[in-house]
Amino acid sequence: MATSPNAKTLQQTHQVSGIITNTTGTLPGASVTIKGKNTGTMSDINGKYQIAAAASDTLVMSFIGYKPLYIPVNGRSIINVQLQDNDATQLQEVVVNAGYYSVKEKERTGSIAKISSKDIEKQPVSNPLAAMQGRMSGVNIVQNTGAPGGGFDIQVRGINSLRADGNTPLYIVDGVPYSSQSLGDIQTSASILAGTSSPLSSINPSDIESIEVLKDADATAIYGSRGANGVILITTKKGKEGKTKFSFHSYSGIGNVTRTMKMMNTQQYLAMRREAFANDGITAYPFYAYDINGIWDQNRYTDWRKELIGGTALFNNIQGTLSGGSKATQFLVSGTYRKETTVFPGDDHYTKGAVLNSITHHSSDDKFNFNLSVNYAKDKNTIQASDLTTQAYTLAPNAPALYDSSGNLNWENGTFNNPLANSLSQYENKTANLIASSVLSYKLFPNWEVKTSLGYNDTNLSENRTMPSTMYNPAYGVTSASSLLFVNNGKRSSWIIEPQVNWNKQWSAHKVNMLVGTTFQSQNSERLSQLGIGFASNSLIHSLGAASMIQTTGNQISEYKYQAFFGRLNYNYNDKYIINLTGRRDGSSRFGPGNRFANFGAIGAAWLFSKERVIADNLSWLSFGKLRGSYGTTGSDQIGDYQFLDSYSISGNTYGGVTGLQPTQLFNPKFGWETNKKLEFAAELGFFNDKIMWSTAWYQNRSSNQLVGIPLPATTGFPSMQANLDASVQNRGLETELRTTNFKNKNFTWTTSLNLTIPKNKLLEFKGLEGSTYANTYVVGQPLNIIKGYHYTGIDPATGTYQFQDYNNDGQITSPLDRQYISDISQKWFGGLSNQFRYKNWEMDFLFQFVKQNGKNYLYAMNLAGTMTNLPVYALNHWPDGGTNPDVQVYTTGANGAALDAYFRFQNSNATISDASFARLKSMSLSYKIPSEWSKTFSGKVYLQGQNLLTFTNYKGVDPENQSMSYLPPLRQYTLGLQLSF
Amino acid sequence: MKTLQYTKAIFGLCMGVMCYSCDSFTEVDLPQTQLTGEAVYQDEVTATAALSDIYARMRENGVVSGNTDGLSPLMGLYADELTFYGNAMAPADNFYNHTLIPSNAYVSSLWSNSYAQIYAANALFEGVSNSAISGEPRNRLVGEALFIRALIHFYLVNLYGDIPYIETTNYQVNAHVSRMPATLVYDRIINDLQTSKNLLPDSYTSTERIRANKAAAQALLARVYLYQQQWSLAESEATSVINNPTFNMETNLDAAFLNTNPSTILQMHSGIAGANTNEGRLFIFTSGPPVSMAASNELVNAFETNDLRKTHWLKSVTDGTNVWYHPYKYKQNANTGVSQEYSILFRLEEQYLIRAEARAHQNNISGAQDDINIIRNRAGLGNTGAATQSDLLQAISKERQVELFTEVGHRWFDLKRTGQAAAVVAPIKPSWQNTDVLLPLPESELILNPNLQPQNSGY
Repeated sequence: MATSPNAKTLQQTHQVSGIITNTTGTLPGASVTIKGKNTGTMSDINGKYQIAAAASDTLVMSFIGYKPLYIPVNGRSIINVQLQDNDATQLQEVVVNAGYYSVKEKERTGSIAKISSKDIEKQPVSNPLAAMQGRMSGVNIVQNTGAPGGGFDIQVRGINSLRADGNTPLYIVDGVPYSSQSLGDIQTSASILAGTSSPLSSINPSDIESIEVLKDADATAIYGSRGANGVILITTKKGKEGKTKFSFHSYSGIGNVTRTMKMMNTQQYLAMRREAFANDGITAYPFYAYDINGIWDQNRYTDWRKELIGGTALFNNIQGTLSGGSKATQFLVSGTYRKETTVFPGDDHYTKGAVLNSITHHSSDDKFNFNLSVNYAKDKNTIQASDLTTQAYTLAPNAPALYDSSGNLNWENGTFNNPLANSLSQYENKTANLIASSVLSYKLFPNWEVKTSLGYNDTNLSENRTMPSTMYNPAYGVTSASSLLFVNNGKRSSWIIEPQVNWNKQWSAHKVNMLVGTTFQSQNSERLSQLGIGFASNSLIHSLGAASMIQTTGNQISEYKYQAFFGRLNYNYNDKYIINLTGRRDGSSRFGPGNRFANFGAIGAAWLFSKERVIADNLSWLSFGKLRGSYGTTGSDQIGDYQFLDSYSISGNTYGGVTGLQPTQLFNPKFGWETNKKLEFAAELGFFNDKIMWSTAWYQNRSSNQLVGIPLPATTGFPSMQANLDASVQNRGLETELRTTNFKNKNFTWTTSLNLTIPKNKLLEFKGLEGSTYANTYVVGQPLNIIKGYHYTGIDPATGTYQFQDYNNDGQITSPLDRQYISDISQKWFGGLSNQFRYKNWEMDFLFQFVKQNGKNYLYAMNLAGTMTNLPVYALNHWPDGGTNPDVQVYTTGANGAALDAYFRFQNSNATISDASFARLKSMSLSYKIPSEWSKTFSGKVYLQGQNLLTFTNYKGVDPENQSMSYLPPLRQYTLGLQLSF
Repeated sequence: MKTLQYTKAIFGLCMGVMCYSCDSFTEVDLPQTQLTGEAVYQDEVTATAALSDIYARMRENGVVSGNTDGLSPLMGLYADELTFYGNAMAPADNFYNHTLIPSNAYVSSLWSNSYAQIYAANALFEGVSNSAISGEPRNRLVGEALFIRALIHFYLVNLYGDIPYIETTNYQVNAHVSRMPATLVYDRIINDLQTSKNLLPDSYTSTERIRANKAAAQALLARVYLYQQQWSLAESEATSVINNPTFNMETNLDAAFLNTNPSTILQMHSGIAGANTNEGRLFIFTSGPPVSMAASNELVNAFETNDLRKTHWLKSVTDGTNVWYHPYKYKQNANTGVSQEYSILFRLEEQYLIRAEARAHQNNISGAQDDINIIRNRAGLGNTGAATQSDLLQAISKERQVELFTEVGHRWFDLKRTGQAAAVVAPIKPSWQNTDVLLPLPESELILNPNLQPQNSGY
């Protein structure tokens, strides 16, 4: 067939050249390709490019971080373009990962919050959850301890389950479900990590490209039974097309405790003790009152906070990344090494090594796509087995020196329980975690794609805790024959296969996208805990083989299997009206036969009203407007395995040469899914060319058929039993996010982001609460996070003891009838405010996290005033000196029975709950980008960063975040870092 | 058209794969570390493993355990046997000072560990009763289950007063039980022990006397009848044990708590080869001042001059100026190559003392004297001078104090059942109240099961 002359002219190529710039200047290294053809080039160091193109071609100019431009040549020979930053104005084009599919921000029908590597990089943290604090609405994260490797609590849109451990979200790392259950053994690690070790520590934050949190029904229903508490999608970094690049990132820093509480000095303390003895009518100090009877030096003063938790933690992090690739194949290899020490005295250290490998390949016809990502991380935590915080806040200020003159631990002739004895007990934890995931897809026909994701996750944990005989007061006379070694080894492996079919079709203004898939998942866990007793010498204590006796304290094997079908149907009319249907049918081995399968589904819809003619024509300041809503159901299967079976397990107890078998649980073959119905309405608005973006969402989640380990009286033989409870919990809330570009020109930009969440949790109904085991814990109509306690009414002016309201007027204060005062300790509102300034090569960022709440104050954990423990200076304000409203009742050594009873009630009263709101300068960073004039061959950045720098609070206690006097508060950290890439 | 066919084929294939595996995929087998309840009781070996676990739990936690949460230390502190040297405000300190509150950790652990052990005994009883195990193995297992159930309830009724007597594993029943008058609890205990006595054989399962046999049931029955003041029944059960040729008194006081002691009726195996008793680990200290507890002055001064038990069963520790004593019945505080000591629950000497008391109450003066003299002579003391009923009862009480000290609460229960608690304890514990004869019920239990209300008075 002959070509027409006209067509021939159009096909003839000519040279097209030009300069590519951005808002600040020329842009070297930008890619210029011709749409639909296999030719391309890059802009040079001055932003110039030259390419041979036909008059009818379209040029595609792109660069990472910028919005690509499509420019028809139209016969021109010089085309200069300016690429726009992919931020503010391009926000709507950002693609958001929704798990099984991804959507453009503007077409999103569900509620998804996201942070990207940019935000994570600004915080030198070792746990990804720490990087999310304060940055997302509806996501509440609390750090339990400042010790490395320790735990975090996370709640997405509040507490749904009455079960304290039934509120964790589902974690998915590169498509692989990642179990958030620790393999740790509470017996081995409890005293230092505030629970068991956090499995998310095994994910290296600097390898993360983005974290998305799926919140509403539209986003989570496709995760069915596991979506009730939200879904956290972690996506690791992938290689990008371009020349091979090596980047190096290193930072070092120091950390110390954020806040402490001022304690009494020796003089104040001894005065309190003397007064207590005098009050109790004891004139001869008992021999064990070493602090005051002359055995200990009464002129000594030690600030135990300084001595025990006042050290400086050091941390270093080094990362090297090699990435690049051709159009067809891209790769990324990254290695990270991190080392941290603690604020405790002694040689504690935490190290982490992580490797990430990613390969992506597209066939030349773009039909076949393949990605393989392998994450491997190894942590080793060597730390003393118990936190010294308690001691720092309780040791008498005149307690003897920690070491004697010859440098040995000082026991002061057996009168002093040296706190450093605990540091002789070491905890060591080694974790190795492998996450491998692969996605294969093939475009079978036009519009049809078949895809399979394969995932494998393998975690190995080995932890041990030593208790050498030297940690005991020599008065016990124990030798290494009594030294103990606790060993716990756990492993878990799981695989997942998810075959999927994707179909999409577009005709005129209609776009349809359909996805159908199925999941097969299997997880095997194994744990063996052993105790070695008695060693020939304490130097052999790390070897279980050297123990003279070995006892198995626990051995658990469990298998979890899960199978599902899922689907999505998305219809988009003219980018204006969007409907999204998702559903899942789930089966889990955690339920008995007949209760295994359940259906979940959701509908979501969005209306981009700013695209309506009448608005687009008349309201030019409104650059974007969307209303969306969703409704659907999700579920929760977060219970242990085999709970529906009547079973006996090997207890680890031996007797007469026989290993014991123990009833595992009170079994209930009938329990089924917990369901969570979620409703959401939201508006998203952009003003003035999206310089101001505002979104707000109202949500309501109702969780019913509560699957709970129902606490049972001990007469049943067990503390609880799994069952569905006829109760429902409602979480309602308002989330607002505001992002403004306050100023923007070539040299200076200033942007602000604000997020605010106002949650409201409520127990909606609970049939038979009064007669149930929860009668004294929950109240219908109140949040779950309440404490029912005594109502403190002041100090009795005659006896000096705390007084409480006698609700039932029986003349006595008794539990539970007089524990009727409800204190709400849930968060009233929380959020974050961040600002970002850029002036030429300088950039400054800061993030304030703020929380409005009531919490447990120092009085909750404070010992009886007058006993042999130091107290905060607040306790100086006591009866009878403290005027009309003293903090603390009459001092007593414990001999005053009435005061002692009053003290115990006081701890369970509303007096120990007070304002724990705070605003915290969570993160602040200042960075300087090395100018390109200096660094022709490399780009680089130096930065200074601070974490938890300032805390503004009226909280009476140590730290308003973890509210603990037993665990370290989060650390304040200063970091200096350098990033280079070649 | 062709496309459609392909589509259909792929869809068909996918759906086929999916449906094939739905139900079967989510089936999982029990792991190798677990067995179903039914399977456990089909086989004597696994049923014995379930029973062994109950004994092991009794050894480690709860009323008869020699650990810190057991009655030996706690009621020793509560009565006049031990002085507390640990942290003020520690749960054990509240026992020592009589400042107990219903949320005390040991008050609730004693309660919950006991009922957990009772549950396991009931599960064993029900499981074996419904299983194919027959003949002597069946009788022995059922007999031991009932013995354990009676033993734990016996301690509970003495600690807490009116308590529920749990005889089923059905949680729907057990979650709403009410307290039963103590006299009815005793009726059930006696009933269980009578059944147990008839089922249990005379022999032990091994030379170690670590599982209850008929003599153990008789020994407990003798004690129960004594507490119930059924003197002749107490005497007759004690006599059966005393006349049993299996049991002989060990004359060497230093060997009286070895696991080979011929006077032992029931002791708890220490678990691992080489392990000794929890009591030894808890009580023994080698330098002063003591760190947790030591023998009280009242106990140390209770011995008559020349009582060998004072020098053999107590040990002094000094720092040069002060002297402290610790119970030294069990002499090992660490492991030894071969286990030497097990915690003893029943021994022949108590049976003599039970019979002496029962005989004294029945005015058998010479019989009572004979029994008490056997105990005194072994301790290097001459015959008792007590010749009237009231003198004898006082002598027996004294003898029990020095013979049975720090053994699972004997001293406290004796003071309580003979009405001497207030007279003896009040002078040395300023916080004493007459309601202290009973412990409070754990606070959480009253909340979890309101049928257990009201709380014992005084709390």
